[in-house]
Amino acid sequence: MKARPSRGLFRRLLGFVRPYRAYLAVALVGVLVLAFLVNALPVLLKQAIDKYLVAGADAELTTETRLLGLLHYGGLYLGLAALAYLIRFGQTYLMSWVGQHIVRDIRATLFNKLLRLPLAFYDRSAVGRLLTRMTSDVESMQRLVTDGLVGLTGDILLLVVTLGYMLVVSPALALAMCLILPLLIGLLTFLNVRLRRTHREVRSAQSSLNALLQESLTGMSTIQLFGREERQQAKFNQRSATLFDKFNDSVRWFSYYFPTLDMTRGLAISLVLAVGGIGLLADPPWITLGIVVAFLDYIRVFFQPLEDLSDKSSIFQEAMASCERIFALIDTPEEVHDPAEPATLGPVAGHVVFDQVWFAYNDEDWVLRDVSFSIEPGEAVAIVGATGAGKTSVISLLARFYDVQRGHVRFEGVDVRDLRQRDLRKHLGIVIQDPFIFAGTVEENITLRDGSIPREQVVEAARHVNAHDFIERLPRGYDTQLGEGALTLSTGQKQLLALARALVHNPEVLLILDEATANVDTETERLIQDAFNKVMHERTSIIIAHRLSTIRHVDRILVMREGRIVEQGTHQNLVAQDGYYRKLYEWMSYGLS
Amino acid sequence: MSAAPPALSSYVLRHKVRIAASIVAIAATVSLQILLPFLVRYVIDGLDAGTLSRDELGAAIGLFLVGTGLSVWTGLLMRRLPLRLGYDVERQIRDDLFAHLSTLDRGFFASHQTGDLMTRASSDLGNVREYVGQGLLQGIRTTLVVTLAFSIMAFISPPLTMVMIVLLPGISVLCFFVLRLIRPRHDAVQQQLSDLTHFTQESFSGIRTLKGYAIEDRSAQRFTDLNGEFVRRNLALSLVERGIWPLFLFLFALGQVLLLVVGGRLVVQHHLTIGGLVLFMQYMAYMQWPMLALGWAMNLLVRGRASWRRVQTLLQTEPKVRDGTVTQPGLRDVRGDIEFRHISLTLDGQPLLRDIHVTFPEGATIGITGPTGSGKSLLAALLVRLVEPTEGQVFIGVHDIREFPLQVLRGHIGIATQEPFLFAETLESNILFGVDEPDPKTLEWAAEVAQLHGDVETFPARYETMLGERGVTLSGGQRRRAAISRAVARNPEILILDDVLAAVDTQTEARILERLRGVLKERTSIVVSHRISSLRQADLILVLENGRITELGTHADLLQRDGYYRNLERIQRLEAALEERA
Repeated sequence: MKARPSRGLFRRLLGFVRPYRAYLAVALVGVLVLAFLVNALPVLLKQAIDKYLVAGADAELTTETRLLGLLHYGGLYLGLAALAYLIRFGQTYLMSWVGQHIVRDIRATLFNKLLRLPLAFYDRSAVGRLLTRMTSDVESMQRLVTDGLVGLTGDILLLVVTLGYMLVVSPALALAMCLILPLLIGLLTFLNVRLRRTHREVRSAQSSLNALLQESLTGMSTIQLFGREERQQAKFNQRSATLFDKFNDSVRWFSYYFPTLDMTRGLAISLVLAVGGIGLLADPPWITLGIVVAFLDYIRVFFQPLEDLSDKSSIFQEAMASCERIFALIDTPEEVHDPAEPATLGPVAGHVVFDQVWFAYNDEDWVLRDVSFSIEPGEAVAIVGATGAGKTSVISLLARFYDVQRGHVRFEGVDVRDLRQRDLRKHLGIVIQDPFIFAGTVEENITLRDGSIPREQVVEAARHVNAHDFIERLPRGYDTQLGEGALTLSTGQKQLLALARALVHNPEVLLILDEATANVDTETERLIQDAFNKVMHERTSIIIAHRLSTIRHVDRILVMREGRIVEQGTHQNLVAQDGYYRKLYEWMSYGLS
Repeated sequence: MSAAPPALSSYVLRHKVRIAASIVAIAATVSLQILLPFLVRYVIDGLDAGTLSRDELGAAIGLFLVGTGLSVWTGLLMRRLPLRLGYDVERQIRDDLFAHLSTLDRGFFASHQTGDLMTRASSDLGNVREYVGQGLLQGIRTTLVVTLAFSIMAFISPPLTMVMIVLLPGISVLCFFVLRLIRPRHDAVQQQLSDLTHFTQESFSGIRTLKGYAIEDRSAQRFTDLNGEFVRRNLALSLVERGIWPLFLFLFALGQVLLLVVGGRLVVQHHLTIGGLVLFMQYMAYMQWPMLALGWAMNLLVRGRASWRRVQTLLQTEPKVRDGTVTQPGLRDVRGDIEFRHISLTLDGQPLLRDIHVTFPEGATIGITGPTGSGKSLLAALLVRLVEPTEGQVFIGVHDIREFPLQVLRGHIGIATQEPFLFAETLESNILFGVDEPDPKTLEWAAEVAQLHGDVETFPARYETMLGERGVTLSGGQRRRAAISRAVARNPEILILDDVLAAVDTQTEARILERLRGVLKERTSIVVSHRISSLRQADLILVLENGRITELGTHADLLQRDGYYRNLERIQRLEAALEERA
């Protein structure tokens, strides 16, 4: 399939265009009509001159008739020009409408695809790169669709019709103009290729300068402390000079552009005058003065699509590369699948089983080794262990963010792989270590923009987890904007908010990844502990715990070490055993005292 | 220092010769392009009257071609000279701006977002450049075209000239206002694009929450809304942006009709020849561009002036920390005891340090510890004058540190911080960043001391390895060790290690401390840390809590006292025991 990639790409691209083909057809008809109208104008001019203005005209017609005739043609000319204006406007607007909608569809397809991709995909992809797919790649695809596909067709149509007109009006002058054609296309294509190349070089010089600038601004203290201001300036000036040189190059090629047009236009005028002059001086003359003047006008009509055309080829190449990247993303396999025939859950009580689970993020780098345990409905269980013991993976597997390599994770007796991901997760409330705060109000952050949850329920949940008081103290209460550039919450406040977020969705199973943080003030710390102890006993809950008070309050503790469960039992039992847990506990007691 | 605000004209007027040359080139081009249509008129009228011979036709066309060739050449110069001038001015301001920025203090950078500064140094400067270059080109050109063309036209036919006077300036004004309509719509599109991008980024960054709560549908719906709004705003822009061109073409057609009807009437009445009419038609075609460009240039002017004001504000900002009247330019030696005399520091109404009064004897190793946010790093920042105290003075030897020229003071201090900033250059130039005469021995020694040498051996190009996005991404520990190398390589009188070993594992820490011991002994050293293992060997340890010194003494002294230090030591002993068993 690699043999003719561009053809495959093209066909897929057309798939996005297909829904709008009726609009495109209308737009093309518009172009065609326009081409005829635009070309009719010089003909009108020619007739007006030949009929009423040329030297011999006053012998045959009265002044009155001639003036009336002029008005008549002027009115016709204006009418057609107005019509051309309307069609041209309607057609370009329609084209940009279609282009925008096609791009909207591509963007949506990409976004939905990305939502379906599993977490493992996000673990290995930089967000910045994904954003580039969504923005600049989509943009260059849009240029291909609107300017490329349609603009090209329009330009060619216009050119063909103009040539046709010219041939009808005067074959000799039309042929003369055709002589100019290859010269103009050749020169403009050459210039456009150069211009694009220098623009690329300018962009790259600009971004290299910007990178240095950004780096210098961020690292200015370091530069100053090490007394490197002058050296950094020299470096900046050097890149600044490079950018200047590239700009100069671009000015050089740009400055050729309009003079080239002027030159070919001058040539065209000379040709028209020469051929027209010969024709008029011949005996008998085989051309009229009106035709010569009309052709001087045709030069204008003729040049416009040519200028556009020569710009198109380079757009194609850039856009093809973007298309390839976009389709590659759309084709990324989704490793975590929903089953073809998903199992259904009855009323959920909250029964969780890990049955000889082995799991690794990559290859055989085992994070969990043969882990088995079972959690009864309503039970509150804490998982403890040192960093890297595999605690977080247990929760990720239960939520099926990843699939196990060996063994089974069962929810309500059903292997999680037999359930639809959404059906599974709507029964789980996950409180994440560093909860993600979206740009939006406090309320939207709690409901995750579920408009069906009434304010009372939000307040109730917040009150239940001790978040209500601090929220009320925020400038606009539940309507306070959060996120980048707006108010930022403290770590402790974020955790309370995340807890409210989990509870307002009323899950059967609560999963808490508790962060051991140093910078939570004592008052908030007390509120968090109080909230945890309260909510854990209202439903099945699994908590990755660092806080002593939570550990003491759970029904059972699973102690993990290097991917295995090494001890389990109640706090009293485990302390009495004098094993690994006891050491861990002692350490935690000091760390938080 | 610079009392008078820098003026844009001072940058532009440096290039008097080039400005004059630009004017000549523009004048030549405009004159040629206005005169050439006369040849066309001559031919048309000659053909109409039947008086033109073949030879005369040939001569006229030949002259026309020569004139066109000449105008092409001057047309090149007309564009190159002023546009390059614009780029030159831009470059000079850019370089001055950067030089100025590098004199500004940390307070300035803390209160200005990098993004905002970047905008001023790139897109605002770009606007200034367009304002200078295009302003010069279009301004002179339009003035010349208008005066020349209109006087010639008035000479040939006053009534037709009236038609042109009504139409052409109208085009400029229309263009100006349509462009003004475009701007807010364009901004609205950009705003929506940034919202859309932000939402996308947020969805990817928060994908765990999104999937965890199974709210993909809701996100997709919101994306659809944002996406739809983006399309709507784009189309609102299109309406004006794409509408403008057909409108101008229509106006042009209107001009043609008026010329045909009014001019035709004059031809019929023998007040004008057909060639004269064609001449006017050609002028109409020729002049529409400069008139459009004038409307465009007026917009550039408005934007360019606003941008220049923003750039100017930056150039006028005076650095807070710099050499002043108390500076003694002759001071070169930075040695002696370091004394903090009743230092207090308040930032944004927040007291950060309160009455710090302590002496670090010359040559001693000082340990500083305390809980997060207690002000540990601020002592180091005061010493290198990244911040200035609200009250009190810092002395080195007999001199207030403000007496040292800033370059000299900082030149004698080596500092490594916990979040070191490394540059996207080779590892070598990062380590030797503060060394005036770099040599390979210093490089290897500095890397060796910081236990970095072994890691470097595994890098693709060893010390030549590029750091950052285009090269190797160092781990947190490696970054900090590189920062230690960088500080040590300067062989400074005073060495500050600001919490730099925090993220290094205990064994590596022990090895680094072992190698560093000799280096620390040779100078006054300040080690900020919350690790007992880093602090215990210090000659003097001070504990900062809430901006005050609460404990002061040697390791043995502090263990005697029931306080922060003793508690810290106990926790870390237990932690070590836990690690051993695992």
